[in-house]
Amino acid sequence: MAGPMFTTQEEAATLLIVDDEPHILSAMRRSLRHEGYELLLAQGPVAALDWLDQRRIDLVLCDQMMPGMRGVQLLGEVARMQPGAARLLITGGGDDRLDRDLDRLGLPEPLTKPWEDAELKETLRKALAQVRSD
Amino acid sequence: MAAHPHVEAVRILVVGEADESRAASASEFERVLGRIGDGVEIESRSPHEDLAKDFVPDRLDLLVIDGGFGPQAAVLRQLDRLAGFGPPLLVVLPRADDELALRCFRAGADQCVCVGPDFADVLCEAALELIGDWRAERERGRVEKHVEWLEGLNDAIVNRLPAALVVVAADDAVVSVNPEASRLFSLSPSQAQGRALSQVCPEALYRDAALGDLVASARRGDPPQARRARLYDGERLSRAYDVQAQKLDVEGRVLLVLNEVTASERQAERIDELQRYNANLIQNMNSALVVVGPDARIQFANPMAERLLGRSPGELVGLAIADCFAPEDTGLSLLTRALETGERVQGAECALVARDGCAVPVGVSCSPLRDAPGRTRGAVAVFQDLSEIKQLERQVVQNEKMASIGQLAAGVAHEINNPVGFIHANLFQLGEYLQDLEGVFDGVEALQQVIAGGGDAAAVAEASQSLQGVAEKIALDYLRGDLRKAVEESQEGTERIRHIVRDLRGFSRADNDRSALADINECIDSTANIVWTMSRHAVTLVRDYGEVPRLRCRPMQIKQVVMNLLLNACQAIVERGADCDVPGEVRVRTRARDGGVWIEIRDNGVGIPPEVQARIFDPFFTTKDVGSGTGLGLSTSYGIVERHRGEIRAASEPGIGTSFEVFLPNQTNTDEAVVGGAPQPTPDEGAR
Repeated sequence: MAGPMFTTQEEAATLLIVDDEPHILSAMRRSLRHEGYELLLAQGPVAALDWLDQRRIDLVLCDQMMPGMRGVQLLGEVARMQPGAARLLITGGGDDRLDRDLDRLGLPEPLTKPWEDAELKETLRKALAQVRSD
Repeated sequence: MAAHPHVEAVRILVVGEADESRAASASEFERVLGRIGDGVEIESRSPHEDLAKDFVPDRLDLLVIDGGFGPQAAVLRQLDRLAGFGPPLLVVLPRADDELALRCFRAGADQCVCVGPDFADVLCEAALELIGDWRAERERGRVEKHVEWLEGLNDAIVNRLPAALVVVAADDAVVSVNPEASRLFSLSPSQAQGRALSQVCPEALYRDAALGDLVASARRGDPPQARRARLYDGERLSRAYDVQAQKLDVEGRVLLVLNEVTASERQAERIDELQRYNANLIQNMNSALVVVGPDARIQFANPMAERLLGRSPGELVGLAIADCFAPEDTGLSLLTRALETGERVQGAECALVARDGCAVPVGVSCSPLRDAPGRTRGAVAVFQDLSEIKQLERQVVQNEKMASIGQLAAGVAHEINNPVGFIHANLFQLGEYLQDLEGVFDGVEALQQVIAGGGDAAAVAEASQSLQGVAEKIALDYLRGDLRKAVEESQEGTERIRHIVRDLRGFSRADNDRSALADINECIDSTANIVWTMSRHAVTLVRDYGEVPRLRCRPMQIKQVVMNLLLNACQAIVERGADCDVPGEVRVRTRARDGGVWIEIRDNGVGIPPEVQARIFDPFFTTKDVGSGTGLGLSTSYGIVERHRGEIRAASEPGIGTSFEVFLPNQTNTDEAVVGGAPQPTPDEGAR
């Protein structure tokens, strides 16, 4: 599993990472800096929606608990605006309605904070492979 | 004069003019008539006076009319006036005058006497005779009247008294019955007469009163006895009689008196029933009932009272009620007041002290005991054992605390997981960075060795080149900057976690909450910190703390109230949804007022619908989704504030927001019992 799987015929995948906590974004960028993705970072739903307006995005990784809009709501928007994008949620807990919403929106099991570095990378790769094969 | 019959206490009235024209002078009458007996009283009156006004006829023995005055017609007029007055009339004429005497007799005189030689003797004789006759006549009259009275009495007793009378002959045959008995037997008197008592009397009555025995016993001359006969119609008392038998004469006749007492017997049964009912109620009621006399000593205690106080039956009676309370307990002062002023007390909470010294929490209601004129004769106190309720209440408080803590924990977990998330990721990266840096360290070491080994310029340049290559490969410039950033960010993360944990620690002490002097602002602030930690995404917290006194309270319970209110406020803001333009805001305000502290927690959330507002303090009432609230938060808060003798109230307008106000009084001398739970030793507060 050395190196990105899609480098052969495709340009670097564009990832949008959304979290109201800037240190999370910072840690994510650190972690993913060698993965060969183009990383777009948004500190909150408003910034995220801006990016979605402007860029084609392959994958959105989004925090669940954010001021103004919950992650599942934002991912609902993502599905409407860019149906081809993979959608992933990351949560620190504290939302007991989440399970219901995941089922409703057909989202995969979310990542949890704190995350393992390898698990994060693996999940992103798999999710990208999934949307690319569709 | 001894030859004359003698009479006593004679009253004679002489009617005559007070002048010389009289047949005999007043003094002469007194002298003559005074001889007829002992204690003769003689009075004189003018013929013009109204005698009926001064004299009662029955009290006079004789009326003497002195005919000496005026013409004959005047005498006759007097007679006419006095005839029929009552006492015998004796006319004294100044001289013998047969014709006048005759006319006098006709006019009603009983005797006429002329003044003459034997006047004194004749007068005395005539007077005595008339007096004797008159007295005899009066006596006869009295006897007749007495007989008449007796007959009336007999009639009243036999015929009108509501008692059945039966005379029974020696052979038990009925001799006579009165109308009441005739009604009782449903037989006319003549039908009853001659038949055996057992045949005429209703069987049940005859049997129940054992009339045969009763009559026989009376006939033997045994002391009279009374029996009560009760006749039933099914379960219901139909009639009751008091029966007495009395021997009448030597021939063995017996009088039976049957008095109907159905009404009073029914009343007695009813009273009996009521008494049994009351006794049953008092004996079996689930509350302790104690009657206290004016001397503040127990006069009566029901079994529940004995059980509650750990006493054996009867042991409480005579005990001073003060011995059943802890010294200076509120219950005692309430009871004392009820005794002194007759005031009623409803549902106050206090504690009784059982024999073993254990305090029993009770609710007390107390009302004065009054006698018929309305004077206070003591007090009735009813105690409701609250031990179980208190226990449940503590459980509810505990459950609710757990529920809020659960709710809180979910929020707090999120807040801790965020920093832990990036700290964890950063540490992993720092490890990678370190690995990259190993290459730099190796390069530096190699360069040092080349220099120390006196290597030539080319060798140094090569080593330096190699180090440069490593630095470029690992992007050392970036790494250097990011290394510091990663460490700083992680440090900030641990700092945040440290704060959250510090605030949470307060709640971990919830189980050993004791009454203490607490700074209300501090209580609110530490609670607000935690709640805000989890709600900061949606809510701005505005803290407006006034100068407030430290209050004696149970700080953890107060924190729980504040937490419930803050959680509700944040929830109300979250429920507005994402579209709301106005930023969510919760204002917390404290002020010293009304001898205590007012806490206001105001939000601009969804508000409480008016139809729900009255129920928000009800237990288990919730508008939250099933599973997200126990519905006990506000009712528990209400209970806590009430136990602090404070006040909690809400004002809300849908779409505008809600404001909760909590008042906590400054209870400097408050005992532990007020704030709930059994007294606990107070340890060193500073040790916490």
